[in-house]
Amino acid sequence: MIITTVDFLARAQVDRETLEVWIEEEWLVPSETTPERAFTEADLARAKLIRDLMDDLGVNAEGVGVVLNLVDQVHGLRNVLAEVLTSARER
Amino acid sequence: MKDPYGVLGVVRTATPDDIRKAYRRLAKKLHPDLNPGDKQAEARFKDVTAANDLLSDPEKRQKFDSGESDASGTERPRQQYYKDFASGGAGAGSPYENSSGFADFADGEDLFAELFRRQAGQTRRTRGADLQYRLVISFLDAVNGATQRLTLPDGGSLDVTIPAGIQEGQTLRLRGKGAPSRGEGEAGDVLVEISITPHRFFVRQDDDIHIELPIALSEAVLGARVKTPTPTGAVMLTVPKGSNTGTILRLKGKGVARRGGAGDELVKLKVMLPSEPNAELETFLSTWAGGVGDDPRKDMVS
Repeated sequence: MIITTVDFLARAQVDRETLEVWIEEEWLVPSETTPERAFTEADLARAKLIRDLMDDLGVNAEGVGVVLNLVDQVHGLRNVLAEVLTSARER
Repeated sequence: MKDPYGVLGVVRTATPDDIRKAYRRLAKKLHPDLNPGDKQAEARFKDVTAANDLLSDPEKRQKFDSGESDASGTERPRQQYYKDFASGGAGAGSPYENSSGFADFADGEDLFAELFRRQAGQTRRTRGADLQYRLVISFLDAVNGATQRLTLPDGGSLDVTIPAGIQEGQTLRLRGKGAPSRGEGEAGDVLVEISITPHRFFVRQDDDIHIELPIALSEAVLGARVKTPTPTGAVMLTVPKGSNTGTILRLKGKGVARRGGAGDELVKLKVMLPSEPNAELETFLSTWAGGVGDDPRKDMVS
């Protein structure tokens, strides 16, 4: 399901200027399609995570980038670990 | 519903600032996206969020403190977390996936290196997945071999050649019949686990087949040629004169095929009296001198 920018702003409860910063910082990487950007449900959940980090957890703008980078690495490792375990079981 | 003060670990007189701090401390520790895979943390986070929703709202808190409302109904509908999209393969190909955390593992030549490389989005030469099925076949198909059609869940079908003598639980591998590779690799295999239904009178033991064969009293006493079932059809079996219940006769090569020959069929005889009482037989036995003094139980009772 593709989400338009307008829907995304409403559902993520962020304003356009903030969103531009997040994309600039590469916290969010929507697909740059024409005529406008396309967001996914994963992007939306990620935006909610950014909001949780800033609003609830007191993480500042510098910290969000650090947290997201580590979260992405954790998921990369979790996925490869899952695959390693599946393969090990098959053998 | 749990006591919201207890959940946040604050006293009932806590100030809004205390509550905010307590919530923030717990949320940092328990936020599901910072604990992917930890169901316990996720459940606790839900409680903590609900408690915070209630206590951080002065009106709701006042109602709760005065007993006008209880702590139920404060749970937010479950939010979907980022981790739900990033794990379990859903993250594959996402712009966020980051493989730098294990790039150094991918230098070797072993299985793990291959997996890490693959995950890192390099070569996709992985073969397709193996698909597992179970096939129930009859006893005679297992002994004699057969070709069976396996109906697949997607509506397709697959002919499975069952070699003669297959055993219960054995798995047949059909090379290349499994799922196609997602890249340029070869297709996976289909693995068919064989399950065998028992037969009405044949019992298999390794390569031999056992059967209990009823014979008439006269056939036992006088000897006879009797028709005996084998897995490949009936054969004539010579019952020697004076055969008893429990006598085992061997039909060579009538068992299960194996490399360089076949097992045997072992026929255990079971002498049957006439199904109806027979006056002639009774008269004969009551005047039969040979029957007297023969005690078949002499080994058991002294």
